[in-house]
This record gives sequence, C-alpha cells and structure tokens, in this order.
Amino acid sequence: MTKPTPPELRKLAQRILAIEAAGTQPADAESPAMFRVCEKLRRSLSRLTGLDGFRSLLSRALALAGEEVGWFKAVRVMSDGSLVGLDEVEKQISPREIAKGEIILITKLMGLLVTFIGEGLTFRLLQQTWPEVSFDNLDSERRKSDG
Amino acid sequence: MAKKGKATRRKPTPDAVSKPDKVMIRKLPTGVPGLDVIMGGGLPEFSFNIISGGPGCGKTTFAHQFVFANATPERPALYFTILGESPIKMLRYQQQYTFFDPAKLDRTIHFINLSQVVLKQDLSVVLEEIVKEVEAASPAIVVVDSFRTALRKRTEISELDIQYFVQQLAVDLTTWEATTFLIGEYADEELRDNPVFTVADGVIWLSQVAERNSVVRKLQILKLRGQESVPGLHTFRITDDGLQAFSRTLGFQERKGRPSRRARISIGIPELDKMMGGGVLVGDSLLVCGSSGTGKSAFGTHFIAEGLKRDEPGVMAVFEERPEDCKRRAKHIGHELATWEREGKLKFLYLRPLDLSVDESLQAILEAVTEIGAKRLVIDSLAGFEMALAPGFRTDFRESLYRMMASLTGAGVTVLSTVELDESFTEFRFSNYTISFLADDIVRLRYVDIDGILCRIVTVVKMRDSDHNKDLREFTITKKGVTLTDRRLNDYRALIAGIPSYWKQGSSEEPLT
Repeated sequence: MTKPTPPELRKLAQRILAIEAAGTQPADAESPAMFRVCEKLRRSLSRLTGLDGFRSLLSRALALAGEEVGWFKAVRVMSDGSLVGLDEVEKQISPREIAKGEIILITKLMGLLVTFIGEGLTFRLLQQTWPEVSFDNLDSERRKSDG
Repeated sequence: MAKKGKATRRKPTPDAVSKPDKVMIRKLPTGVPGLDVIMGGGLPEFSFNIISGGPGCGKTTFAHQFVFANATPERPALYFTILGESPIKMLRYQQQYTFFDPAKLDRTIHFINLSQVVLKQDLSVVLEEIVKEVEAASPAIVVVDSFRTALRKRTEISELDIQYFVQQLAVDLTTWEATTFLIGEYADEELRDNPVFTVADGVIWLSQVAERNSVVRKLQILKLRGQESVPGLHTFRITDDGLQAFSRTLGFQERKGRPSRRARISIGIPELDKMMGGGVLVGDSLLVCGSSGTGKSAFGTHFIAEGLKRDEPGVMAVFEERPEDCKRRAKHIGHELATWEREGKLKFLYLRPLDLSVDESLQAILEAVTEIGAKRLVIDSLAGFEMALAPGFRTDFRESLYRMMASLTGAGVTVLSTVELDESFTEFRFSNYTISFLADDIVRLRYVDIDGILCRIVTVVKMRDSDHNKDLREFTITKKGVTLTDRRLNDYRALIAGIPSYWKQGSSEEPLT
C-alpha cells in the first residue's frame, strides 16, 4: 500500500466535509462544517493522543494550511482544541473561498496523521468517526490514476 | 440389596475431604517466544503485574506483544498511556513490529490517553477514570503505561498515595477479571522494600547492561505468585518480531537420564573407531582438540558424513568459516555435504555476528537439532563460538555450554566439538577453556617433528565409561579424507612434546635427548 497522495486525501476530506454539511442540525447551522469535523476528530483523537496531542496536531495542520490560504492566519486553536477566529473571516471572504480552505485544513490534518501513524491506522481511526465513508474506494481510485 | 449397596459404597477418604478441588488458574500466552517456558507456562489470568526497568528496555513492546496475543473483540484490551511516550509516536513505532495487527485497533485494543488527568487531577480521579473505562469495556487486559514517571514528578503525591493507588487499582481490576500490567521505570535500588511490589502478583524486570562495546539485554521474573518460574537472569533480544527470550536452562530441567546400555557409532575413521573401542557411545560429548591446521574440522566432517550415510541427520554449527567454505573443504576430502543439505538431512548454522547472547545461540542450535531430528551435532569451534558472543556473555559461556551439552546428549544426540589449542612444544594441554569436564571423550591432535618432517598425530586421551587404545598414531589428510597410517611410532620418545627423539626398540642405547 503506497502513501495516499494529497489529491486522494483531498477527496477524502471533501467527502467527510460533505457528510457534515448534509447532516447539519438547525442548532449547528451557524457552524461551518470544518469546525464540526475538527470537533469530532478532537473527541475521538484526544482519547488516543490526549488533548494536548490533538491541539498540537491541529495547530501544525493550521500552520500548513496557512501557507496556502492566507485567511487561516486569523484562525487560532484554543487550549481545549477548538478553533476560533472564523467569525471575522466570514464577513470578508466568500463562502466558496471558505469551503476551499476547509478542504485544505482537513487534508493537512489527515496528512499529518498518515505521516505519523500510517495510512492504515489513520483510515481506521477516521472510519470509527465516519463509518459511512468508504475508504476502500481510495485504493481503486489510486489504481485508476496509476493505470 | 440395600445391605450390598451400602457395603459397596465408597466412603470419602480423609484426604478427599480435606483437599477440595483447587482453583485452576489459566495461563495466558505472553506472545513473547521463549517467555512462557521461563514463566512456568504463561502468565496467570487476572494477575496484577508490574513490568519494570530502565528506559529502552522493551517494557512497552513487551506489553504490546501480550496485548496483541490475547485481546479479542469480546474481551478487549485497554491500553492507558499516562506520561512518557506520546501515543501517536508509540503507534508509529510499534506498528513496525510484525506482531502489530492494525485490524485489532478497531474493536479489540483501545488506546486511551490519561495524561491530562494525571497532570491536573489527583490520583483518585485517575483511578476513577480507569475504573470507568474498565466498567464500560469489560476488558481482559489492562495496561497502564507508564504510571511511575508521572507520579514521581508530583511532589505533593507521597509514596503512601502511590501505594494506595496501586492497591486500589489492583483490587478493582482483578474484580473486573482483567489481567493487568503497570509499566514503570525503576532503578535497581528501588526494587528493595518497595511496597508497590508487595501488591503485585508478578514482577518482570527488564534490563540492558553495556559491557565494553556491547549491550546485553536480560530479564528476570522477580516474582510470580502461584506458579514456578525459572529463576535467574535470562537473555532476550528485540528484533522486528518484538522481544524473544531465551531461557537460561535451555530445557535442561526436562532432560532425561542416559540409558544404561548405549550403542557405539562410527566416527567415520575406521582406525580411530578401533582405538575408541568400536566408536563413540551414542549421546557422548566428544572433544577434538588441537592447534590450527591439525585437522579438527576434517574429523568433524567425517563424523557428520558418517552419520548421514547411516541415515542419521546432522547439524553443523560453524563459527570460523562460512558454510560454503565448509562444504568446499569437505568435498576436498571426499564428502559431498551439499547433497545431504539439499535433502534436508544436514543443516548448517552459521552463527557469526558479534553480540550474540550465548543462550540465543544455543537455542538456535537446539531448534536446528529438533527441526531435523539430528542425531549428530558438530560445533566447529568452541573458540569461534566464544568469539562470536558479546563480551558480557563470555563469562557465562562454560555454564551455558554445559547446560546445552547436557540437554542434547541427554536427548541422545552425539556431539563433536572442536577446540583450538595454542600449540606448545613443551607441554600437552587438553584445552584452553578448562572445558574438558564437558567431554565424555577427548581426542587430541598435534603436530610433531619426525625426522625433520612435520607430521600429525592423534591419540585418544579420555573415554568415559569405556576402555580405549592409548597409542599415539600418525594420520594423514588426503583426498580420501583422514587416514591413520600403519607407520609405527614406537621407536620415538617424547612424541607428545612435539619434538620426539628416535630410540630404536630393543636397543640398549639410551634415547637421544
């Protein structure tokens, strides 16, 4: 099994964000899908990594995403592992730009996990949080792109 | 009828009344090859254990091996990480081991990080968290890694608090039918009089000791309630497969006594067989000693080849030359060892890397012997064997060798070992290692100067339990192998000193000195 390429992780991030966007409860309507993805990951990963460990990962992902998306510089990770600072950004940036940024951040976060614990364990952890996402497709998509 | 029935009914004996059935304690496989034997069959189920030792000893790897070997979806494992190795890094490194099965991380093994609780709350909250998780998951195995590091840094936590924490943890987890491991770093001096160790059912001590340029890993079962473990320090190694332990007894305890009547087997050199009273007794340990180039390896080759011709599988453990060189040399003296090797009747062991532990080398030999059902073993040579060991293991060499010889010969394997001696032309030594006690039989080879020509001579120095010829015989090594010549050396004196003098038999002249 080869390491997933960024485009594959990007597709995976898109799927997860789409699931979160589709499942929006009225109470969450104001909260971007990215926040809900991060919150779910915080809950499941901090059990494994500790809150500090998760906060560390998310901060690094945010820094990496900030190199590609300027407005991430206004976003911060709080001590409890939550994200803040998007309110001001939302007033200045189009929803389309925000959606692009969301995908980049989640891709970076998953990329870090793959780097540290490998693709197998990362997908297992993600599948525990989003059982509806099929990770098998990634392999077939990879074969298609290889072929 | 009633009377008959009454008469035939057995009364319970006093013994039966006073000895109710004992509770059967299931022994769990440790997942560490070789360790179950050391522990006396495995780790007692529901026991509360401490794995201790310094950093880098393999404590976490050992716990992982146990967890992956025993956890099931029905009875999972909870692995609490407290402080120490970050869980992400732990998973990163541990998945490199072959025993690590990612599929088990879904429902079988759960990693839970408690570092925040430990740092910010008191021990009672840590205990509550652990118990809460245990009650929810009903695990078969619980690991707390590494509790000691965290607690030691909290100055407000006294030793008494720690003892209470450990005691309460032991009670709760045993009640929940979990086999538990606490992983902690302890220095040697902390092991004595430490109340934490009193609570534990089992204490496994791992260590690594640097000696000169080598590192020697050892483990000890300091305590194991309810069953007999093998005492002492056992070596272990960490490879891609995780820990592998080597019992210092090498199965010696299960050794059978030798039968009172034993057959003799040919060494493959007919004239030498005659000198030895018809050959070597089955199950003997034969030492062939001599200086470099005297033909010790050739004797070993004859011995193994003769067995193979008689359908007796053999193992050759070579230390001073590669198996290919050994086969090529054997071919020069008429033995095609490669054919038998291909047929699976002969196995070569090339144990050359430095830093080997003596027990793991001996274990490899024992396994090879068992694998092909070997009847003959050649160790060529004991000096090379010793050199291949880490310096720290060399002091154990004779002791371990003795156990292995006893184990093998007790199982009916006949062993020929070669020993290189520093040749002296003034004395006739048997061995540099004072290992002649290992040998039932000793054959000594040496060079002598006869009439200005360097010749080889052989003599049988010792044969336990049987008489033997004590002649000093000349031998040659040709394409046909080792042959004892008919040349009589009776006219020479001081042959064993290496520089004999001619003394014609029957002459009244004094021998030349």
